[in-house]
Amino acid sequence: MDKSHIRNFSIIAHIDHGKSTLADRILEKTHAVSEREAKAQLLDSMDIERERGITIKLNTASLKYYYKGEEYLLNLIDTPGHVDFSYEVSRSLASCEGAILVVDAAQGIEAQTLANLYLALDNNLTIIPVINKIDLPNADIEKVKKELIDLIGFDDDEIVLTSAKTGVGIEELLNRIVEKIPSPTGDEKAPLQALIFDSIFDPYRGVVISTRIFNGTLKVGDTIKMMETGATYEVVELLINTPKEVKKTTLTAGEVGFISASIKSISDVKVGDTITLAKDEAKSPLPGYKPMKSMVFCGLYPIESSKFEDLRDALAKLQLNDASLVFEPETSTALGFGFRCGFLGLLHMDIIKERVTREFNIDLITTAPSVVYEAILTNGDKILVDAPTKMPDKTVLKEIREPYIRTSIFTPSEYIGPIMELCQNKRGIYVSMDYIDPTRVNIHYELPLSEIVYDFFDKLKSFTKGYASFDYEMIGYKPSDLVKMDILLNGEIIDALSVIVHKDFAYTRGRCVVQSLRKSIPRQLFEVPIQASIGNHVIARETVKALRKDVLAKCYGGDITRKRKLLEKQKEGKKRMKQVGSVELPQEAFMSVLSMDSED
Amino acid sequence: MPKSVYIHIPFCKSICSYCDFCKILYNEKCASLYLDNLEKEIKERYKNEEIETIYIGGGTPSALSIENLEKLFKIIKIFNLSPSYEFTFEMNVSDINKEKLELLKENKVNRVSVGIETVNPKYMKFLNRYNYKEDVEEKITLLKRYFSNINLDLMYAFQGETLSDVESDLSFVINLKPQHISIYSLIIEEHTKLYVDKVKPIDETLERDMYYNIIEILEKYGYNHYEISNFSLPHYESAHNLVYWNNERYYGFGLSASGYIDDFRYTNIKSINMYNEGIYKHEEEKISKRIDMENELILGLRKIKGISKKHFKDKFSSSIEDNFDIIDLVKNKMLIDDGENIYIPKDMLYVSNSILVNFIGGSND
Repeated sequence: MDKSHIRNFSIIAHIDHGKSTLADRILEKTHAVSEREAKAQLLDSMDIERERGITIKLNTASLKYYYKGEEYLLNLIDTPGHVDFSYEVSRSLASCEGAILVVDAAQGIEAQTLANLYLALDNNLTIIPVINKIDLPNADIEKVKKELIDLIGFDDDEIVLTSAKTGVGIEELLNRIVEKIPSPTGDEKAPLQALIFDSIFDPYRGVVISTRIFNGTLKVGDTIKMMETGATYEVVELLINTPKEVKKTTLTAGEVGFISASIKSISDVKVGDTITLAKDEAKSPLPGYKPMKSMVFCGLYPIESSKFEDLRDALAKLQLNDASLVFEPETSTALGFGFRCGFLGLLHMDIIKERVTREFNIDLITTAPSVVYEAILTNGDKILVDAPTKMPDKTVLKEIREPYIRTSIFTPSEYIGPIMELCQNKRGIYVSMDYIDPTRVNIHYELPLSEIVYDFFDKLKSFTKGYASFDYEMIGYKPSDLVKMDILLNGEIIDALSVIVHKDFAYTRGRCVVQSLRKSIPRQLFEVPIQASIGNHVIARETVKALRKDVLAKCYGGDITRKRKLLEKQKEGKKRMKQVGSVELPQEAFMSVLSMDSED
Repeated sequence: MPKSVYIHIPFCKSICSYCDFCKILYNEKCASLYLDNLEKEIKERYKNEEIETIYIGGGTPSALSIENLEKLFKIIKIFNLSPSYEFTFEMNVSDINKEKLELLKENKVNRVSVGIETVNPKYMKFLNRYNYKEDVEEKITLLKRYFSNINLDLMYAFQGETLSDVESDLSFVINLKPQHISIYSLIIEEHTKLYVDKVKPIDETLERDMYYNIIEILEKYGYNHYEISNFSLPHYESAHNLVYWNNERYYGFGLSASGYIDDFRYTNIKSINMYNEGIYKHEEEKISKRIDMENELILGLRKIKGISKKHFKDKFSSSIEDNFDIIDLVKNKMLIDDGENIYIPKDMLYVSNSILVNFIGGSND
């Protein structure tokens, strides 16, 4: 198709502002799907996405739209909405010329609205501001308009009002896309430069690549070359998603589509790499992406140690369309063989865990998430500490530094008090507070990243009845007085339960952790002492009492079948626990070490 | 080869709050029809093996009228009884009278099991079971004139019960000098009145203390603790119940009864109407060798003496150790291996499920 009739765009929004529903309505309006096919939220194809309402995996739809009698091809490139996935958002945005910024008519601008907007502006995209959910009874269109005008600088007449639910404003929005978003540039006769912005593994086709052609033309049968990895393959199929699969013979500059080339080796395809033609190579690759740094690390261990290789395979397959996932083998005395994995954030970690369990059927134990510390040794060396067990001995340690973030917390002003208290408790340093309007503020704090990995977001939501929204950016490392706290069960240090804590908070934390462990460890056949220690110094102690009763008082003739069922159920429960030394630990025990809620 | 017979009589004159056995209120006509079908079922299935133990349980078998009892005993004559048989009949205290005892005696019953449960007036309403001390004393005295092998059932762990409450029920029963005592902690089973009333079990530590206290007292009085909940004077162990715990074959006849014949464990139907229409069997399960070995342990380790290693090897042509990982259990003193037998030490009896769970895992194919 002629480039001037192509529009490549994304939709960006704060979570729950109606991005996926808006995408569905656009699909419907362009007759891409019949009503019958219009299952809720079509672009979210994975089960977990649909359940959690979050778009995790990128997805692209190519839609036909008629404007003033002419046919246009609108490529809608979906993006994830959560703060953890800003890396994937920027990947999507690099393939677009425009973005629709969706704001909820009742909620107004939220933390991630701004975060995503800045990403789009970084990519020089044309922004179409949309106020969505205008059908809501508590919609305050004028107020949200004012926010968009005052805070971001849009003009009143640029703003489109929609209700993705009822369909109001969708046509106007589509027209606006054609009118405002620039058509892609690029030379179809130049050597091929195609950006890999996503890939998935299909059991029948091998690796399938999502690509945006910036220059040149790609045809079925062409031999392509990955400019970074050097791998070459023959193109078997070119596809677009309408959102039904449609086969194409060529993809030309400006277009978006999928390449299938019988790629069996996952490592040949790197998201961010440029594809060119083997016989007519481009001089240079497109600017790729900066690999995203993992923020949160944790150990993933199969409950059944025999599944270690399966877990490796599962992680490799997930990494294929999730370049931000990193992992390397790790050994724990307590848990055996597993992987140290790096994630963009906690949600990302949860999703990977869930996908490993659900899609690959591997039961996991995950150790408590940790951030990456910098340790400066007395000899001047700097080492990265991404697991508590890697903390150097204090005799060789000169200084330890931890990563800090700067928050944007959007909240109604009545919750300022509780939020400030929360941030103080998390070792926060107050920076500033901006009033968006007389009733809403944006609070900035500097917080150690380690303090937000566990329950910060949950607490924030509960302290503000769900009204606050939260985003953060990394601001670098600061020296901190940190120590490693070990946990002993039955007198033995359990390496997988060690945690790095601030010295001033160590006693309180130690007490919380042992109390929480006492509650999460089921009674065993013998008494289990739990101790928290720093160095050789025990700072807190609790005891899991021995199991007192677990018996079938009566068992006669017909009871055996029934009683077997009881025992089988009991065994199922055991299966979800990891035998660590002489103690059986459930998953919750590994998270207990992050507990900060004391009983007293 | 089955050498034991269980017969279920599902009729009761009142329903106890804790009972989840199959039972219905007594009705003369219905009972008579039931016995007709029982006879048919026995004739259909019984292959004339020599029978060493018979156990007639319920429900309340003693609730049957004299006429129906005569009918029942006529049916029992079908069985080819071994010379050294044990024939147990369950009775309620209120049903004990000369006429019924004589009838039992004439019909070869040689062991009677009586459900006392408690004689403490504080808990009678709770159990919906009213056995006053004076009545019990009188009836058991009468019973002892006819029978010299008597079991008395007791229960403990009622809401609000104290250690001394348990002791006084226990010493009352000891004073009656039965040959055998079964004593069970109250289990709040689904489909019972207690469950519906949302009765909560008592504190586990208290319950455990009650249990070990009971053992201590009964052993002091010469009762031999031979199964988790069963005690007897020497040589008065229940031969019939040992068939269950030894994982041996037996017939089960009557409503909801279960049995173990050849390679099948089966359970009869629980609907009296269907049973009376001649539909007996409800479900059956083929027992693989692996499951049979697991059952051998799950059942056998209920016995205080445990399982004979040699017997296991003779029966399955393969040793316990070859089939189950018991090394750690023995090392951690959850099992004792004295060279001949494998058993659960006394202090672990009250958590024996946590040990047995290690033997579960075989599939039934």
